[in-house]
Amino acid sequence: MPTIAENPSAIRSYYEGLSKGVFRGTVCKDCGRHSFPPTGCCEHCGSWDVEPVELSGDATLLLATHNIAPACHPRFEKIAPYVYGHIRLKEGPIVQAIVLGVKATPADLKALYERGPVPVKAETLQMDDLPVLAFRIKG
Amino acid sequence: MRNKLHEKAVISGVGCSRFGDLLETPELKGLTIQELTARAVKEALDDAGLTGQDVDAVFAGNAMVHSSQVPGTYSQLSKWTGTQFKAGVHFEAQCSTTNVGAALAAMSIAAGVYDTVLVYGLETTRTKVKGFSPYEREPISHQQTWLWTDMAVNQAYGVPQGYDIFSTYNGLVALGYCRKYGLSLEDYDRSMFELCRTRRLHGAMNPKANIQEKLEDRAAKEGFADPYDYWRSDKHNPFVAWPSRLLSLVTTADGASAMVITRANLAKGGKSQPVQLKGFGINYSDLPWYGEDPTVWEFDRRAIDAAFDMAGIEADDIDYLHTHDCSHISGICTAEATGYLEPGKGLAAAREGRLRFDGDRPMSTHGGRHAFGHAWGASAGTDTYEAVLQMRGQAGPRQIKKTPEISVIHTHGYAMIGTVIVLGSL
Repeated sequence: MPTIAENPSAIRSYYEGLSKGVFRGTVCKDCGRHSFPPTGCCEHCGSWDVEPVELSGDATLLLATHNIAPACHPRFEKIAPYVYGHIRLKEGPIVQAIVLGVKATPADLKALYERGPVPVKAETLQMDDLPVLAFRIKG
Repeated sequence: MRNKLHEKAVISGVGCSRFGDLLETPELKGLTIQELTARAVKEALDDAGLTGQDVDAVFAGNAMVHSSQVPGTYSQLSKWTGTQFKAGVHFEAQCSTTNVGAALAAMSIAAGVYDTVLVYGLETTRTKVKGFSPYEREPISHQQTWLWTDMAVNQAYGVPQGYDIFSTYNGLVALGYCRKYGLSLEDYDRSMFELCRTRRLHGAMNPKANIQEKLEDRAAKEGFADPYDYWRSDKHNPFVAWPSRLLSLVTTADGASAMVITRANLAKGGKSQPVQLKGFGINYSDLPWYGEDPTVWEFDRRAIDAAFDMAGIEADDIDYLHTHDCSHISGICTAEATGYLEPGKGLAAAREGRLRFDGDRPMSTHGGRHAFGHAWGASAGTDTYEAVLQMRGQAGPRQIKKTPEISVIHTHGYAMIGTVIVLGSL
């Protein structure tokens, strides 16, 4: 089996995975840690000996704010302002991504902040031209 | 890593343009980018008592080539700066550009390659070339500025999936700080107000600053008796990434800066008082810039440690500090990381006015990224410019009472290269 570093594009593979609801990363054969999203190289120890892995999508939302409106990128004009969160994946990596299930208002974000860390689940948010990673608050 | 300079390098000349808008600011209106840069370079060379022909090499910094449209900057600017027939390179480290250039210059001098190096940075974040005109410019939209600027941020996964500087650099850091230290959101807001007041006060005393108006004066002009009511007004100061507001952020600017770095013995008896570049530290990271705790940035810690080690200083030695403050809360976190401010007490220091030029922990006396303004690749040089003025006792009304002997300047080059330089009096 070829390693992900020998595939044509880890980036393409990641977004194609997202379109199917699959969250692709890598796990390092040397240090055992996960890299997400995938780069073909372990982001922790620098080893090239990594293999593809599908992540669970289970995560904890640590903090949440919102983006600026109008959005910095035209892709997100339609949904700005959106909630953007600081998230710890079950497998370990820290990611920041769009958060679904809470409004981008000071009152709603303050209530969420006062709850403390909350469980979230990864899902795919289909924008006009690209599927992107998002996390939905559970419950 | 040996982390040593084997020969003393000094800053013997500094220069800086007015920061503002090439279409609107009176001192800049109508200038081309060539002339804007030449102003900063001329000031630095004059300050050092040199001409462009006296330097051995030119390190020309520019980050957002999309708006400046002068790649190959060393040669395109050579006849505007008198530096034909020199060694040169166009380089960028985004918003750390000019101070990374200072570090590269010090390395080249300490290695025995060059005696004197001219470093300059230029940037236009408010205006861009109009059509194909060699001299006309036009405004850049907010979205276009960030599309171009964010090209320095993770283009594989970050930006395509909704990365937003205001969230990552401001809102999330603010919330992490408040949660970690048990600070109420109300106290956070009040602290940000006081910090902005301090930066605007400094800008009001600096004829080169982008914004030269005190916050309370702006509030009064808008009809507010209490400037804190102005601060909390959604119309004038909306949340850009709750709980962070617009006036806790960078303001964009067109501008240029320059410095002359030379061997210490060559600067003796020179025109202006030289300042030693005692040490530097440079360290970078891709997103995410922090782990679970948004107040702890590992690459900054490493850059600080390296710079302090090379310079042989400790936190208690710092007399003047600038930390990169595109985001005021991030700048406070970095100041705490240097040891200049006590962890968790930085915002209290801001509220108490201790960060003012006349306080006991003076910071960013030029006005910082908010009041002085931010021209990406030129800005680090303005931070150094201010530190050199302060160390010479030339900062005018904003002069720190006890002339600084050790200054530390930290910058964040997008996204992210933490850069720390340590300046010392000879």
